[in-house]
Amino acid sequence: MKLARYLKPYLVFALLTPAAMIGEVLVDLLQPKLLSQIVDDGVLPQNMEVIIHTGIIMMLTIVIGGACGVGSAAFSGMASQGFARDLRNDVFEKVMRLSFQQTDKFTTGSLVTRLTADITAIQQLVDFSLRMLVRNLMFLIGGIIMMMQLNVRFGLVVAISLPIEVVIVVVIMRFANPLYSVVAGRLDNVNSVMQENVTGARVVKAYVQEEHETKRFDAANGDLMTANLKVMKLVALLQPLLMIIMNAAVLAIIYIGGLQVEAANLKVGEVMAAITYVTQILHGIMMLSMMFQSISRASASAKRLNEVLETVPAISDGEGDNSTEKGTVEFRGVTFNYPSSGGRPVLNGINLRIKSGENLAILGATGSGKSSLVNLIPRFYDAVEGEVLVDGANVKSFKLDELRSRIGIVLQKSELFSATAAENISWGDPSADRAAIEQAAEIARADEFISVMPDGYDTRIAEKGASLSGGQKQRMSIARAVLKKPEILIFDDSTSALDLRTEASLRQRLRESLAGTTVITIAQRIASVKDCDRIAVLDHGRLVGCAPHEELMKSCEVYQDIYRSQVKGGED
Amino acid sequence: MPPTPPMMPGAPGSKGGPGNRHAALLTREKPQNIKKTLGKLLKYIGRSRYLFFALLAVMLLITGLGLAAPMIQQIAIDCITPSETRTGVDIDKLISTLILLGAVYGLTALMTFLQGLFSAKLSQITVRTMRRDLFESLVHLPIKYIDNHSHGDLMSRMTNDVENISTTVSQSIGSLISGVLTVIGTFVIMLTYSPLLTLISVTTIFLTIFVSAKMTKYMKRFFVEQQVILGRINGHVEEMVTGFRTVAAYSKEQASIDEFKSMSNELRKTGIKAQICGGMMGPLMNCISNFGFVLIAAFGGWFSIQGWITVGTIQAFILYSKQFSRPINEIANQYANIQTAIAGAERIFEVMEAEPEPKGGSLPFSPENVKGDINFKNVDFSYVPEKQVLHGLDLWVKQGQKIAIVGATGSGKTTIVNLLTRFYDVDSGTVTVDGTDITEIPVSELRKSIAIVLQDTVLFSGTIRDNIRYGSADATDEQVRAAADKAYADEFIERLPDKYDTLLTEGGSNLSQGQRQLLSIARAVLADPKILILDEATSSVDTRTEMHIQSAMVALMKNRTSLIIAHRLSTIRDADKIVVIDHGRVAEAGSHEELIAQHGSYYELYQTQFAGNKT
Repeated sequence: MKLARYLKPYLVFALLTPAAMIGEVLVDLLQPKLLSQIVDDGVLPQNMEVIIHTGIIMMLTIVIGGACGVGSAAFSGMASQGFARDLRNDVFEKVMRLSFQQTDKFTTGSLVTRLTADITAIQQLVDFSLRMLVRNLMFLIGGIIMMMQLNVRFGLVVAISLPIEVVIVVVIMRFANPLYSVVAGRLDNVNSVMQENVTGARVVKAYVQEEHETKRFDAANGDLMTANLKVMKLVALLQPLLMIIMNAAVLAIIYIGGLQVEAANLKVGEVMAAITYVTQILHGIMMLSMMFQSISRASASAKRLNEVLETVPAISDGEGDNSTEKGTVEFRGVTFNYPSSGGRPVLNGINLRIKSGENLAILGATGSGKSSLVNLIPRFYDAVEGEVLVDGANVKSFKLDELRSRIGIVLQKSELFSATAAENISWGDPSADRAAIEQAAEIARADEFISVMPDGYDTRIAEKGASLSGGQKQRMSIARAVLKKPEILIFDDSTSALDLRTEASLRQRLRESLAGTTVITIAQRIASVKDCDRIAVLDHGRLVGCAPHEELMKSCEVYQDIYRSQVKGGED
Repeated sequence: MPPTPPMMPGAPGSKGGPGNRHAALLTREKPQNIKKTLGKLLKYIGRSRYLFFALLAVMLLITGLGLAAPMIQQIAIDCITPSETRTGVDIDKLISTLILLGAVYGLTALMTFLQGLFSAKLSQITVRTMRRDLFESLVHLPIKYIDNHSHGDLMSRMTNDVENISTTVSQSIGSLISGVLTVIGTFVIMLTYSPLLTLISVTTIFLTIFVSAKMTKYMKRFFVEQQVILGRINGHVEEMVTGFRTVAAYSKEQASIDEFKSMSNELRKTGIKAQICGGMMGPLMNCISNFGFVLIAAFGGWFSIQGWITVGTIQAFILYSKQFSRPINEIANQYANIQTAIAGAERIFEVMEAEPEPKGGSLPFSPENVKGDINFKNVDFSYVPEKQVLHGLDLWVKQGQKIAIVGATGSGKTTIVNLLTRFYDVDSGTVTVDGTDITEIPVSELRKSIAIVLQDTVLFSGTIRDNIRYGSADATDEQVRAAADKAYADEFIERLPDKYDTLLTEGGSNLSQGQRQLLSIARAVLADPKILILDEATSSVDTRTEMHIQSAMVALMKNRTSLIIAHRLSTIRDADKIVVIDHGRVAEAGSHEELIAQHGSYYELYQTQFAGNKT
C-alpha cells in the first residue's frame, strides 16, 4: 500500500507494538500449560507446594503480560495517530492546492468524508493490524506449537478443523457481501421516498396522493425487509457452523487424549490444556477472517485518499510579476468549456479590453457565460483557448497569490466563515485595524446591521453565515472586498438579494469611495447597471455587444430583448 | 415561494455546528418516560407474539444446553482421570459421554441458528410495521407540523431512530435475555459444585465490573474530547471546501492549512490518550480474568487434595467462570443500547401521535362541478400568536377570473394560498368556494378542485410519466402525452433517451430547472382543476424556456379561476385584476392602468421592482 510511507516516521513505535504484544500473548499461552502443571504435578500427587509455587508464577506472569498489553496499546496509539495526522495534513494541503475544476469533481461532501471518516478508518486499521493481527496470528501459531508439544496427534485435529473453519467464513462472507450492498440500495429507496414526502408534502397533499404515496412506501419498505431477511438468514448460519467445528474439535481432543492417557503418553492436565488451546486457535481464526472484512473496507478508504493525493494541481504559479499596466483586464480570443460539460463551449472567442478605472457591467441570460468569464480573471479556471491578461501580463505568468492580491471578487453565493463579523471582514486585509474595518462595512452598508447585533463587530457569525439574511451576507462579503482595496473589483451578481433602493445607495457609496478602481459588475437587472460606463452583453457564450446603455438600445438586439422582458411597457 | 412561513420562534433548527452535533451524539440521551414508551414498543413486538415466544423458548433451551455442556465435559474428563477405584481410562463411559456431549453441541448449534432466524424475523417485521405506521402518520401530518419541524430532524427519526430499534430488537433483547438466564443458571450450578469456589469467582467478577465501570467513565472524557475535535475538523474542512473560491480569492490557503494542522495535531494528542486508555481496558480485563483463573486453579487444586472436589470440577469451574463474566459485561453494554433505542422510540411515537390533519367537513362537494368562485371574508391569520400576518383580509375572485397578487416579501401572498388549500386554517373570518365555507367540505375534495404549480418544483423519483400522472392517477398514456404537449413539455421529453420512461434521479436533478417547471405544469394540466394557483418563478431559467413556461401558463389558465403570485410584469398586465397586498391587507385592487393612474403603492412597487427606477 502506498500509504505505508506515512508510517515510516513512527516505525519504532510500529515495531515496539508487536514486540510488546508478544509478551502479552506468551503469558496467555503459558496459562493453560501452568494450569496443567498444577493439576498433574500438584493436584494428582497431592503436592500443595507445587500448587502454591505454580500459582505465584502464574500471578507474576499475568502482571508482566498486562504491562506488555498496556505498552502495546500505547505504542500502537502513538504510531497510528501520528500516521493519521501526517496523512490528514497532506491530504488537506493537497485539497487546498487543487483547482476548482478538481474540487468540483470530488464534491465537498466527499472531501469531508475523505478527510475524516476515511482517515479514521485507515487509522483504526493500522492500530488494529499492529495489535490484533499480530495478536491473533501469534495465538494461532503459538497455540499450534503448544499443542504439538503436548502431543503430535492433536496437531491432526487442528489440521482438519482449521481449514474447514476458514472455508466456512470465506464462503458465507462471499455470499453475504453482495447482499449487503443490495440492502444498502433498498434502504436508500426507502429513505428517498421519505425524503420526498417531507420536502414535497405540499404537492402530495395538493394532489390528494396520500394513499398513492403510502402504497409506494409500502413497496419499498417490503423490499427492504426481504433483502434484510435474506442476508440475516445467511449470516445466522455462520455462528452455529463455527460452533459445530469448534466443538467437534474439543470432542476429538478429549477422545484422543483419553486414548493417550490410557497408553500413559499423556497426563490429564495436558488434555485440559489442549482443550483450551484448540478453542484459542479456532477463535483466532475466526477473528482473523473477520479482520479481512475490515481490511477490505479500509482499502476502499485508502483508494479514495490516494485519489486525492495523486491529483496534480491543474493550476500552478507562474514565474512572477511582469505587469506593465495597472488595473486593466483583457480577454484575447478566449474560449472556455467545463470538462464536465462535454466540450460544449461556455465562452466562445471573447475579445474584450477593460480600461483602468472603468466601470463595466456584464449582462446576459442565465447560462450565457457571465460568471465563467469573470472566473478566468483570478484564475479560478484557465481559458481553454486564447489568453487573459491582467495589468498587461498573461494571468498565467503571475504567482497565484500575487495575481489574486490585485483582484477583489464578491461571489454570487456569499461565503462567510464561522468567526466574528470583524474577522470575516478583515479577511480582505489582515492588518486592518477596527476603524478601517468599520469604514469598509460602512461603505458596503453593512455597518447598519452589524452595529446593532448583540456584540456588534465581535458577534460570531454562525457557520456559513446561517444566522444572517441573504442581503446581509452579501453586504458583508462586499465589505470584505472593499477592505482589500484591490485594483480590480468584481461583483458577480452579488447584490441580487438587496432591494433596489438599498442597492442603489450601496452603488452610490461604492462609486464615491472606489474612484480609480476598475469595477466589473455582473447583474440580472438592467436597472442596476444602466449607469455603467459600458455594458457587455453575452449571449450563449458570445459577446454580442459592449457599449453604454443608450447605444446598446439602438444597436444590440439581445439587449433590447432583455430590456423589453424586464421593463416592457414600463415607461411608455 | 418556497413553503416557509415566517420564522417560528423555538422551531427546532438544525443549525448547530458539526462540533455540537458530535458532542450531542455522545451525551447519551435519556428517555423521558421509559415505562410508557417501552409499553408501546412491546405492543409492536407483541404483534408477532408467537415468534417472540418461539424465540424465548429457543433461548431458554440454548442457555440450558450451554450450562449442561461443561458438566458433561467434566464427566468426560473424570473418565480419563485415574481415581481410587480405577487406574486406567473408562473407555466405554468416555465414548458414551462424548456421544452425549456431541448431541448437546449439535443441538446447541441448531438452536443458535434458529435463534438467529427468529430474531432476524422478529426485528424485521417489527421495524417494517413501525416504519409503515410512521410513514402513514407522516403523510397525514398537517403542513404546519412539517413546516415547524426541521426536515433533517424528521428524517433522522425515520432513519436513524428506526434503525436503532431494529438493531436493539435483533441483538440487544436476545443477548439481554440469554445473558440474564446464563448468569442465573451458571451461578446455581457453580453453587452446587462448590460454594467456596463460587465465592472466589464472584469476587473476581465484581472486580471486573468495578474496574470496567471506572475505566469507562474515565475513557468517556477522552472520547468526548476526541469527537469534539473531530467535529471541529469536520466543520473546518466543510467550510474551507465550500468556501474555496473565497479562500482562493483572498489567498488564505496557507492560513487555512496551518489552522487545520494545529487541529490535526490536537486530534493526534487526544487520540493517543484515548487509545492508551481504551487499550488498557483489554489487558486489564484479561489480567483480572487470568487472576480469577489462577485463584480457581490454586484453590481448586487445594480443595481437590482435600478431596472436596474432583479434577473435572476444576475444569468445569474454569469454563463456568468464563461463562459468568461474559454476559455480565454484555448486559452492561446492552443497557446503554436499549436506552438509546427507547429514546429513539420516544421520538418516533411523538410523530405517530401528533394530531393528524383534519379530514374536513362532510358537506357534499364535487370537484368536477366546482364553478371556482373564491371569497376571503375578513380573514385574520397568524403563524405564531404574536405576529399577525393577515389583518381582516377581504378578497373576492369571481369565477374564471385571473387575479395577480403582488406585494413585498413577507406581505402575506403565500399565506393566501396556504389558507385556500387548507394547509393552514384561518384564525377568524371565512374562506368560501362557490359560497360554501371550505372548512365544511372534505379536505380531499377541496384539494382535488385546485391545482398548484409551485416555484420550487417538486418531482418524485420515478419516470417522467409517473410524475405527470400525479395529476390524475388513472390517466391513459395518450392523456399524459396530450397534457405534456399542452404544457410545451413534450418537445424536450421526446428528446430524452427513454422519453416518457426516463427515470428522474434525486427529485429530477437530471433535468434543468425550466424543464422541471414544465413538468409540474403538465401535471396541473392533466389534473384539469377549476381553480389554479400559480407561484410563477423564472429566476434561474434561460430566455427560451422562460417563453415556453410563459405560454404554457397562459394555456393552463384558460377557463379557470387563477390565482397568480406574480413575479413577472407580463403576467400582471395580462391579469383581470391586480391585488396589492401590503402588511396583510389588500392595499389596492384594479387593472394595471387603473392602479398606475392612482399613483398609489402599486405605482411605487412597480417603479422599484419592475421598471428599476430609483426612487
